[in-house]
Amino acid sequence: MVILKKIGDFLDERLGIRDILEQNLTKYLLPKNINTWYTLGAVLLTLFAVQIVSGILLLVYYNPNTDEAFHSIQRIMNDVPYGWLIRTLHAVGANVIILALLLHMLSTLFMGSYKRPREITWMAGFLLLLLSLAMCLTGYLLPWSQLSFWATTVATSSSGEIPLIGDVVVRFLRGGAMVGQPTLGRFFALHVMGIPLILGVLILVHLFLVRRLGISRPPFGPDWKPTEPSATFHHEEHPGGIPFFPHYVTKDAAMIAFFLALSVYVVFFAPGLFFPPASFQPANPFETPVGIKPEWYFLWAYQTLKIFPSEFLGLAVQGVAVSLLLFLPFLDRSLERRPKHRPLFVAGYCVGIAVFIGLSIWGHFS
Amino acid sequence: MARSSRRKFLAGILGTLGATIAGMTAYPVFKYLSPQVKTGSEGQVTIPKSQVGTGQAHFFQFHGHPAVVLQKSPGVYIALSAVCTHLGCIVQWVPTKDEFLCPCHGGRYTIDGKVIAGPPPKPLPPIPVTLSGDNLMIG
Repeated sequence: MVILKKIGDFLDERLGIRDILEQNLTKYLLPKNINTWYTLGAVLLTLFAVQIVSGILLLVYYNPNTDEAFHSIQRIMNDVPYGWLIRTLHAVGANVIILALLLHMLSTLFMGSYKRPREITWMAGFLLLLLSLAMCLTGYLLPWSQLSFWATTVATSSSGEIPLIGDVVVRFLRGGAMVGQPTLGRFFALHVMGIPLILGVLILVHLFLVRRLGISRPPFGPDWKPTEPSATFHHEEHPGGIPFFPHYVTKDAAMIAFFLALSVYVVFFAPGLFFPPASFQPANPFETPVGIKPEWYFLWAYQTLKIFPSEFLGLAVQGVAVSLLLFLPFLDRSLERRPKHRPLFVAGYCVGIAVFIGLSIWGHFS
Repeated sequence: MARSSRRKFLAGILGTLGATIAGMTAYPVFKYLSPQVKTGSEGQVTIPKSQVGTGQAHFFQFHGHPAVVLQKSPGVYIALSAVCTHLGCIVQWVPTKDEFLCPCHGGRYTIDGKVIAGPPPKPLPPIPVTLSGDNLMIG
């Protein structure tokens, strides 16, 4: 303990470390009525960290070569000690991250936290969701199983419906006419380096904006009223609020434990949940397996493409939906954030969730 | 219970819990990264006698390390580790001088692996060789 104090004193004399910690932990006050939904940011940071560590560990044995990729994954699963644990945790973690991202987005929408002055925070967060989906898509090909190969074939084929440049886009994504070694090479590079770098920068931007602007007060309680946003920069303070440390960190820790427990539960008790039979067969470009379906978070897009008479129309609808969400803060400019005073928005919100779930279930059983 | 002792008790519980979780996480990672022992790697290596002529050296893998077998004189075989005892480079056989040379720092060994010159601190470890019909059983 004496050594720790000496190290603390050493850093404090040179960097004023105690002041930084006070300002960002014990004296950093959060709204009194802050709720559990606000912990999802910390949960996501932890889940991303788990993905980075397990991903680096997988890289030790993974071989991004069409002749070796499947066997290297089989070796990780069957021969390397605890390889099954790390690989399954990585695969399950990706799904849990998407679930947490969706919940984070839904809670932000419901509480109207995306509104001025937090437009950029929302857009950075939404881009993080899109990049995470891109991570899932690129990572899906790497095991080079029948599932990987044909899911990527279908996913890249749909880009061919873009007018005029469709074929060029497909060839560019695949690095050739068909999914093959060039596709694996570029997806591998994107998955382990390209997208994570952008993701990391965007996470930093998102966190900086959250800290710079201050936590938005939940729009609940009798004394919450819409206020005119300041014309100049304003950091939202919460005098008399609860300290970030130790009070809210405890709540963060509890939710992190819950999400980690959920991931570990699936790893140990339902390890096959995200591994259909086609994921245990090596890729065969001459034999398409029956009933290939995308992962649950892409089922809505898959079904959208099926229900429209042309795939281009389906792609256009998806593009409009994504753009609407991305630019929502600039479309919904009212100051009101209380859900019970925004019946139209809440109705649209519920319909949106119902359509997402409905299309996903339809896509699963179609 | 006094306030300070209660705080210490809780900190102790949390510390123990944290250490247990850290240990449970670190152990699989350590095992995952540890070199794996391949089955059969501890057994004998069989090399046909025809591959090792008189005065010739034949390099091979023995228990995961490079080794060398050579026919010193007709019917007399010797096997040695080929890893230089100085800094782990692989020695080369110089048939014109009947000696081993380490190309990294000039260490020289006799045909039996004894140090002649240079920085190696120890001779090359010998490996037992037995004859079995047309094969050499090494190890």
